[in-house]
Amino acid sequence: MATDLRISNISKIYPGCVANDNVSLQFKSGKIYALLGENGAGKSTLVKILSGVISPDNGEVFLNKKNLKLSSPLDAKKNKIGMVFQHFNLFETLSVFENLSIDATEDNKSLRVRINEILKKYNFSINLDVPVLNLSAGQKQKVEIIRCLLRSPKVLIMDEPTSVLTEQETEELFISLKKFCDEGILIIYITHKLKEVLSLCDEVAVMRKGKVVSVSQTQNEKVETLANKMVGQKLAKIKKKINISKNKDEIFKVKHLNFYSDDPFETNLVNLNFSVKKGECLGIAGISGNGQNELFQILSGEIITPDTSIIFRNKEIAKLNPKQRREYLMAFSPEDRISQAAVPELKIYENVALNNFKSSNFFEKGLVNERKIKEHSKKILSDFSVNTDNVELKSQFLSGGNLQKLILGRELITAPELLICYNPTWGLDVGAINYIHETLIKINDQEKSTILISTDTEELLKLSDRIAVIYKGKLSKIMPSEEVTPEKLGVLMGGGSID
Amino acid sequence: MSLDISFIGILIGSIMASSVPLILAASGELITERSGVLNLGVEGMMIIGAISGFALMVITDNLFIAIVGSMLSGVIISLIFGFLTQSLLTNHVATGLALTIFGIGLSAMLGKNFVGIPGKEFPVLFSSLRESIPFFGPILFGHSIVLYFAFALPFLTNYFLKKTKLGLVVRAVGDSPVSASNQGINVILVRYCCILYGGAMCGLAGAYLSLIYTPQWIENMTAGRGWIALALVVFATWSPIKVLIGALIFGGITILQLHMQAIGFRIPVQFLSALPYLMTIIVLVVISRDSRKIKLNTPTSLGRIFYKEK
Repeated sequence: MATDLRISNISKIYPGCVANDNVSLQFKSGKIYALLGENGAGKSTLVKILSGVISPDNGEVFLNKKNLKLSSPLDAKKNKIGMVFQHFNLFETLSVFENLSIDATEDNKSLRVRINEILKKYNFSINLDVPVLNLSAGQKQKVEIIRCLLRSPKVLIMDEPTSVLTEQETEELFISLKKFCDEGILIIYITHKLKEVLSLCDEVAVMRKGKVVSVSQTQNEKVETLANKMVGQKLAKIKKKINISKNKDEIFKVKHLNFYSDDPFETNLVNLNFSVKKGECLGIAGISGNGQNELFQILSGEIITPDTSIIFRNKEIAKLNPKQRREYLMAFSPEDRISQAAVPELKIYENVALNNFKSSNFFEKGLVNERKIKEHSKKILSDFSVNTDNVELKSQFLSGGNLQKLILGRELITAPELLICYNPTWGLDVGAINYIHETLIKINDQEKSTILISTDTEELLKLSDRIAVIYKGKLSKIMPSEEVTPEKLGVLMGGGSID
Repeated sequence: MSLDISFIGILIGSIMASSVPLILAASGELITERSGVLNLGVEGMMIIGAISGFALMVITDNLFIAIVGSMLSGVIISLIFGFLTQSLLTNHVATGLALTIFGIGLSAMLGKNFVGIPGKEFPVLFSSLRESIPFFGPILFGHSIVLYFAFALPFLTNYFLKKTKLGLVVRAVGDSPVSASNQGINVILVRYCCILYGGAMCGLAGAYLSLIYTPQWIENMTAGRGWIALALVVFATWSPIKVLIGALIFGGITILQLHMQAIGFRIPVQFLSALPYLMTIIVLVVISRDSRKIKLNTPTSLGRIFYKEK
């Protein structure tokens, strides 16, 4: 039976913020709908309303002309609305089967049979009896999807599903979603990634500042048109002018970098050798999990490996810890903003003070000089156009983009000679990505160097002067970026060879 | 004092008896903590259970009413904790500490008129078998019904948590209250139930002390057992069976070191008194080394305040 979902005049107001402003949309089964918007545009609020987690201040939801009262997640379940949240709603310490059985009405035996049927039908391979915390992000998401499928949903809502997936997992997800769609499930796909909208969805609704600003067929749209609708202004195209000059000094040189670990979740690194010149951006591409984490940790001094030589500004720094490396004017921006780069529970100015650099005057005789730190933090907030001027705000309330700007600002204010960043625009919206890219290019223009470890090939091609690919802990040869095409990168990232 | 086989049997029997309050209180607290609630009021709930059990026994002369009453009093006092932490969202640690201080003070006040009143003998089961079978008799028979219940409790708790649907719900709430709430589980209700159950078990543990173990009322008679029970839960890494082992070790070494003191071992008394604490911690740390299991058993949301999005 065809499904018809209609949202009518939904409003939700939080103190100081209109999350949803009179939102009306209509969806019909047999199509995949995209709900597109920047972070904070109100997409997540809308889906939380649809899944009964929060109640709207105003407005109604109709499923097949029936007015739904969604006052708890149970109501959404009863009405066959399934939801896969951006942050998984799984119980990490329980097994996969326990996670699935917790709201099941049938006995465990028949439930297991049904789960196995689903696993087989959609070609999922998941061990039902291991704790969820042992699963990869992609597998966790499959568990969430299975949980929805067990209730034979009419509507399936996916909230930013690919933000934690590898490219291969993303492809698998898209195949599954198309299958679900063919089976008559209405799919609403929430994202801020434009390419996904174009490759997966049939219709797209764009939200901005709590309002729906456009509804259109995806075949009539292009990346640029959607981006402009989403941001509300024309985005400047960024392209770096490549500055390769052979006679520039090598500022950073790594030799014989080897890393061996017993942990099956870590990747061994095999004899990495590379160097970075003054004012250059060295890009390191690769599918996540091929050793980027380990490489970043070794370059930043979190892991010290024996027999490795790292020369930075003519000094051997391989045995120094991160703090000492910072004193030599290196700076780091790790992948995980929340748990590695900043302490979310601390206020903005406290996070700024965490990089206890010697040159700063934040600390006097063991005491914190709060006034100086706050002045300094205010400067970062305005220089890097972070969307607040309140340095007392807890960092966890900053959106991903603003937090990343804060971290970059914190790292750059010492004028480092080398910045190493790992996926600096991961999970950010277009506007923030543009800003970060501009900042990174500016660094190179000032004759400072960067190492950009990223899983985003487009970003790498845009920003790097030279690019290498890391695959299973081995580094490919380093190529000037004008010789590199996305196809070449793709082959190398998949373990192929291009010669 | 000769170390013959029947003496060892009696010794083991008394070790079991001394560990009962720890097992009861720790098993109750374990369920509470598995739902993500950290109730540091165990000592306070135990002492309230002890005085209300004893007072009810004196007033009604009925041991059954006394036992049930002590559990109810534990429920009532833990309800205060539940209301404060779950409905008014106060900090678990501070509220639990306040509960203990409150419990100790209240019990001293209520108990004023009961000091010095002799207790009543609590009926024991199978007392004839106790005498007739050497060694095993004093271990297995001639105990109060509460002791048998206490020794079954860790296994029942284990079964409840691992095999039943409700146990699964409790573990899920302790793991991630937000996810549980998004799955339609009433997190606050589950946590209230777990808190009240913990209260009931602590009340019973207190009543065991004042009605069975040393049948009388003495001010502050729980003497820190509530804190030991709390520590047991953590050091046993939230596993009911390990709680039982820990309680037996603690009870065992407490009794043994008393005997050692009596015999006159040339070890400083202070060291002997510290021995049960040290040994319990060492043994539990050694048997709980598996970091993977610790991670799986630890309630991730322990002590964190949960509030529902509106």
